[in-house]
Amino acid sequence: MTDSPSEAEVMESGEGTEGVSASDVSALAEELGALVGATAWSDNFGVIRLEVERDNWVAAAAKLRGRGLELFSWLSAIDWSREVEVGEQVESPDDLDERFEVLCRLSSVKNADAVHLVAVVPKDDAQLPSLVGEFAGAEWHEREAAEMFGIDFPGNPAVDKHLYLPDAFEGNPLLKSFPLLSREVKPWPGTVDVEDMPTTENVEAAQDASGETDGGDE
Amino acid sequence: MTQIDPRSAMHLADAAVSVELETPDMTLNIGPQHPSTHGVLRLVAQVDGERVMSVDPVIGYMHRGYEKLAEVRTYAQTIALVNRIDWVSGFANEVPFVAAIEKLMDIEVPPRAQYIRLILTEMARISTHLVFASSYPLELGASTPLMHAMREREHVLELLESVTGGRFHPNFNRVGGIKPAAGGGSSMKKVSMDLPAGFLAATDEAMTRVLDIVDDVDRLATGNELIQARTVGVGVLPAAKALEYGVTGPNLRASGVKYDLRKVESILPYDDFEFEIPIGNNGDCFDRYVVRLEEIRQSASIIRQAIAKIPSGPLRAKVPRVLKVPKGEVYVRAENPKGEMGYYIVSEGGRIPYRVKIRSASFSNLSMLPWILAGQLVPDLVAILGSLDFVLGDVDR
Repeated sequence: MTDSPSEAEVMESGEGTEGVSASDVSALAEELGALVGATAWSDNFGVIRLEVERDNWVAAAAKLRGRGLELFSWLSAIDWSREVEVGEQVESPDDLDERFEVLCRLSSVKNADAVHLVAVVPKDDAQLPSLVGEFAGAEWHEREAAEMFGIDFPGNPAVDKHLYLPDAFEGNPLLKSFPLLSREVKPWPGTVDVEDMPTTENVEAAQDASGETDGGDE
Repeated sequence: MTQIDPRSAMHLADAAVSVELETPDMTLNIGPQHPSTHGVLRLVAQVDGERVMSVDPVIGYMHRGYEKLAEVRTYAQTIALVNRIDWVSGFANEVPFVAAIEKLMDIEVPPRAQYIRLILTEMARISTHLVFASSYPLELGASTPLMHAMREREHVLELLESVTGGRFHPNFNRVGGIKPAAGGGSSMKKVSMDLPAGFLAATDEAMTRVLDIVDDVDRLATGNELIQARTVGVGVLPAAKALEYGVTGPNLRASGVKYDLRKVESILPYDDFEFEIPIGNNGDCFDRYVVRLEEIRQSASIIRQAIAKIPSGPLRAKVPRVLKVPKGEVYVRAENPKGEMGYYIVSEGGRIPYRVKIRSASFSNLSMLPWILAGQLVPDLVAILGSLDFVLGDVDR
């Protein structure tokens, strides 16, 4: 554990105890980043994020596995998009670099070490080599990412087969440009029951009005 | 009527065995409505006689698109969704979700709220494992434990309901703590909101009955010769395979891997208590069954220690009425009854998350079905499915 109280505070923000301290995490991030040849690494609240080139994706996962991060936890993607059909926009859409980020979480079963391996996948060439050869469990996760985001995973034997969606379903529902069809048909009843769906204006108005409270019911 | 000479009958039987029976490959569809699939799981099996050659699981019948829905709801509204992921242990689903938001917002949860979360999470674990302890012997042909364990589970659910107002879907966690408890009077009076009177004593007493019932199930089923014949050495999952498929929870521990997030990286104060992590040696169906029974005992012990130590104090930290979560990304995981449950939240600084990835235990636990079922006998398929203890809501999300 670290001696510095400020670092300890950062790590213990919110909830109880952490297995590792902040300084351990950044040292580990640096070590693993060098190991896999990451182009960028960072740690967010104790989550180590290693960005690697697409060509390096499978090799990096294999190296991490060899380093003891042998539990394949999950794989998924984020759609960084300027065009948002439903939900929240990014903070500054004009500066946004449109892309997919594919994340794969590997963790150790001996301690709290874990890594998010990240590859940036351009939208006009949405493909990433499959991890199935390294982790058999990647098959379902990649199929899910494939149908939800339209990312291809060459090497995955069943990547074209829908996992969750009906066979005849067209489109990739988790894309930001994909509308939420049920709300197209019928406005969400929660809107009247609870509150207006938040916009920037009414959030600020509400915050001005109430300020800090001791947390009443939502 | 001609009498059959017993000797010739035996001879006939011998002849039948020695005949080469043609058993061409056949496609056997199991589910999506089938009692052994615990919901709407469909298995398309290629069978050769009694032997399963390959299995293609078909999931998605319960897919509700929570990851998309979370992108159009405020954080507080999403809490009501996440407890429906694994509906057998609804409370345990909420805790990592609110803990993730608390981490992003840098909110310290008061100790009493943490303890209440912990007690209710462990009660959810007990009720989940009691469902397993009742249904698994039933699938193997022993129907008596069902009545005993289900009755006791109902008592645990009643206690959960007395606090949260819901048997299955508590929607009880709030960012920064917990909701005013149901027994604490009107939520308008913010002075006297706490656990219902007598709850802790009643829970302590309920733990005695839970421990009794686990002993009963142990006596009724564990040593039973037929149960052992159906489970020992059946469906062996080696640790290396389990890790490759991301199998977690009791299924992983039954394979001998001592990995429990309550010890490794806990969001709740588990460090305050002494408890054991039961593990198995062989990774077969029997080990998975025994590990879960033992986990009930450990959870009961944790709850008792927590009741003895529970601090007083506020139930919720000071949080802004309108939750605006700072920009950032966070992943928070917890040891759910079924395994690692985690939420990866990307916030762009607003009231709605930009992306929520839900890591559910049963999804990964089930992804190894094609591997573990290939080459098994059809009746063993039922034994193996049951021993994995999955919930389709947790698979499909």
